[in-house]
Amino acid sequence: MFCDSPTRRSGKTQFATGNFGHDSNAENFLAMNKNSGNNLLTPQLLAQLERMELVSRKIFRGRMKGERRSRRKGQSVEFADYRNYVPGDDLRFLDWNLYARLDKFFLKLFLEEEDLHFYALVDCSQSMSFGEPTKFEYAKQLAAALGYIGLVRADRVKIEPLGSSYAGQSPVLRGRASLWRMLDYVQKMPDDANHSLAESIKSFAIRNTGKGIVVLITDLMDKDGYDQALRYLVSRDLDIYVIHVLSPVEIEPDLAGDLKLTDIEDGDIAEISVSKRLIEKYRETLASFIETAREYCSKRGIAYMMTSTDRPVDRLISRYLRQRGLVR
Amino acid sequence: MSWFNSVLNPLGWTLLLVVPPLIVLLYFLKLRRRPIQVPSTYLWKKAIEDMHVNSLWQRLRNNLLMFLQILAVLLIALACLRPGCEGTELSGERFIFLVDNSASMSATDVDSGSRLDEAKRQVGIMIDRMKPGDVAMLMVFSNKAEVFQGFTVNQNLLKQKLGEIEQSHRPTDVREALNAAAGLANPGRTSTDAGDVQIADALPSTLMIFSDGGFENVNDFSLGNLTPEYHAIGGLLPPVNVGITALAINNDPNISDRREAFAQLTNSSMEDQSVSATLFVEDEVFDAQDNVVIPAGRSVGISFPLTALFAQLDTATQLKLVVSPDDDMTEDNVAFTVVNPPRLAQVLIVTPGNEYLELAMDTEPIQKMASVVFESRDYITTEEYRTKAFDGEFDLVIFDQCQPETMPNCNTMFLGDKPPGDDWKFGDKQYPTPIADFFRSHPLINSMQLTNITILEAAKIEGPSGTQSLIDSTYGTIMAIGPRGGFQDLVCSFPLATFTDDGFQVNTDWPSKLSFPLFVQNLVSNLAGGARFLTQDSASPGEIARISPPPTVSRVQIINPQETQFSQSRDKNNMIQFSQTELPGVYTVAPDEFSTETAPPIQYFAVNLFDPQESNINVREELEIGFEPVAATTEVLPARTEYWKWIILLVLAVIIAEWYIYNRRILI
Repeated sequence: MFCDSPTRRSGKTQFATGNFGHDSNAENFLAMNKNSGNNLLTPQLLAQLERMELVSRKIFRGRMKGERRSRRKGQSVEFADYRNYVPGDDLRFLDWNLYARLDKFFLKLFLEEEDLHFYALVDCSQSMSFGEPTKFEYAKQLAAALGYIGLVRADRVKIEPLGSSYAGQSPVLRGRASLWRMLDYVQKMPDDANHSLAESIKSFAIRNTGKGIVVLITDLMDKDGYDQALRYLVSRDLDIYVIHVLSPVEIEPDLAGDLKLTDIEDGDIAEISVSKRLIEKYRETLASFIETAREYCSKRGIAYMMTSTDRPVDRLISRYLRQRGLVR
Repeated sequence: MSWFNSVLNPLGWTLLLVVPPLIVLLYFLKLRRRPIQVPSTYLWKKAIEDMHVNSLWQRLRNNLLMFLQILAVLLIALACLRPGCEGTELSGERFIFLVDNSASMSATDVDSGSRLDEAKRQVGIMIDRMKPGDVAMLMVFSNKAEVFQGFTVNQNLLKQKLGEIEQSHRPTDVREALNAAAGLANPGRTSTDAGDVQIADALPSTLMIFSDGGFENVNDFSLGNLTPEYHAIGGLLPPVNVGITALAINNDPNISDRREAFAQLTNSSMEDQSVSATLFVEDEVFDAQDNVVIPAGRSVGISFPLTALFAQLDTATQLKLVVSPDDDMTEDNVAFTVVNPPRLAQVLIVTPGNEYLELAMDTEPIQKMASVVFESRDYITTEEYRTKAFDGEFDLVIFDQCQPETMPNCNTMFLGDKPPGDDWKFGDKQYPTPIADFFRSHPLINSMQLTNITILEAAKIEGPSGTQSLIDSTYGTIMAIGPRGGFQDLVCSFPLATFTDDGFQVNTDWPSKLSFPLFVQNLVSNLAGGARFLTQDSASPGEIARISPPPTVSRVQIINPQETQFSQSRDKNNMIQFSQTELPGVYTVAPDEFSTETAPPIQYFAVNLFDPQESNINVREELEIGFEPVAATTEVLPARTEYWKWIILLVLAVIIAEWYIYNRRILI
């Protein structure tokens, strides 16, 4: 907090006004965007995200000092309580004023400010590479945006490509300075998942033991189902958010005629003759699928949210995720 | 009568009925589906899980498209059965519809307007009754025949042409129509036996005559492959008609000074009729006769005195006779005639000097008819003569013992000489010349006694084709009249008297006989055209009218009763022949560039039906063609009412609905 605040203030001012001309961070950002073709986060979006922070419905113990108050007492400017002095306590925290009045040693206790584990799990299955923009691009943008909020608030941010060859190599990022690293990493994430959602999450759960917020960005289109996958997360006692991403053509399919549908992941084939009745049936099935997922999550304390890729990420975060309490 | 009339043979039916199972089969065949990649077939599979059925009937249950297609095929099968009710079809394959549009068909004793309308209605029904593949042709006849539509299977075309048939005002003669029909129906036949080549197989045809039978039987005609049917067109009740069958004005000033208009009224009804006749002069009532009773099936004559009118006549005048009240045929209730101002015939006599002729021409009757000029033989070599002769200023030129270089544009008479050229030939002169015979009924020598004439020298005459012999001697014809285009040349091989170096020598005593002045009078009256000047014979509708305008007029306008103008110039015979005389009424002949302000019309001529047979509108119950009686058929069976067109429209609607459903994905 002490070391990051000047940088944060500076960055906040610069992004809010959108004036990058005299700011080295902004220059770096533009240069990087240009070099890497990074278009995940626009300056406007970054400026918007600057003002936000991730909120956990649970309070977890952090590993390092962060910017959020902890139940634990520690070093901060936020006064919490007094306790009697016992030998060995740090004399710097004695309340000398009380000692003058009462002639007794009391030790001042301050609220500890800690960091937060923030995991963004991006489904890298091939089904995500569908739509315009692809659901995968959308998921990456969303993960990057949420990650940036975490970085700004000095949380521990980890963006995990589920089932991808990159999985397990994702860095733990902290601090605003890690923005470029994060963006670079997210940008390079491939949608080449070759494992099921359950297997990928199981692998993630084993590797990461930290408590915190986990946001699973997925289309839940897994033939093996998503319940096993979510169960792994629930068992870890994490604050879980599921953002269910669908493309508009999945919600309102624009198909006609006699078609042979090929599953992009497993090559499974479904032959259909599109009719009004079939489209209606599909809509019913999709609605039922979403409702089932919502109920499943609700029962297990998981925050569920369905979104379409035609909904802008900034709007999703600033309105819908704020309503759900993930950010504020 | 049958409800169904299949157009398909058993093989066709088999093929058609195989189609519905084929459609069902096609619905079970694998569709050629368009491949599309989707993120997951998970939801689709779940969606089609409910719809995915295995049993045949479940699959068919909601397949509306297939049902529509089968329905369309079944409807087509039904259309092929040609369902219909009532009525019959015509038997035969080739039909010739012969429609009478003569004047009598304008009678209005039928429900559907005129008899022609009724005939057209009946032909329309016959066309409807034709089977697919039948061919028919449409002919119209009055006194001429016209093929309105040649053989065709196109019933719509036949009906269109049928609608174009118009009423004519002509009399009836079915012969030409029968010849044309026979020629078309029996293509191997020709009009003459010589060179008859079988050009095609003769095909039997049904000849349907739609007429009231107002024509004479045609017995010198062979029907060949034609099977005649006579559809009598007329009302159920006996028709009532009184018609004017003649209207004329006595115009011979030599017979009487009284001028009268004579009319003949004919009653073709079954009962006596009483009518009133009104004579109009230039559209103003001039005279009328009431209660003229005409016995059934008889004619009566009525007359109107016109002497007072003629006394002050100085311009061409129209007369119209109207019979009232109106009856079933109004066309013959009006008749027209004209009185043209008298004009003296121009007669030129070229002679070395002929007292006999001079005396004969000096009589009063001839003075009333003609202006006679005597000239010497030198005159015919002058330019004046040539110009006048070419312009037709003479009506008759008598060449006495001389001949011109070229013939004048008028009638001529030659005495003791022949026309130039080789058409006429004289034999050697014979002496004496007893008269053997003469053409007693010819207008020139009608009612004359010529056998008492003595002729000294005469020569045998041979004239061109069409020459009529008037007086024959024991060795041949000595007086003959022959045609020259529109003119006539009278050639007499004996002169009345000769003038030689020996002096005046009489050749015949004919001038001393009573018959000579009469002959000269007939000559002026007939060949100089004196008889035509006062009134002119009426032409029948469609007949060619011959007009002889004044010599100074080279081109005329002829205005018909409907004010249509026709411009006409003289033909090579210096006459005007006008053929557009379809309408009855008065035709005006006027100089070219005529206007009523500047000049009066030259003359009028009238066109009238004047046909007792046409005015008799009783419907004949039997015709006789080639000695074969053809009984009338009055029963007109209605055409079979067929519904296949409606079914085809329904098929179209079903196919459109199927297309709409398929495209809008309402339900499959």
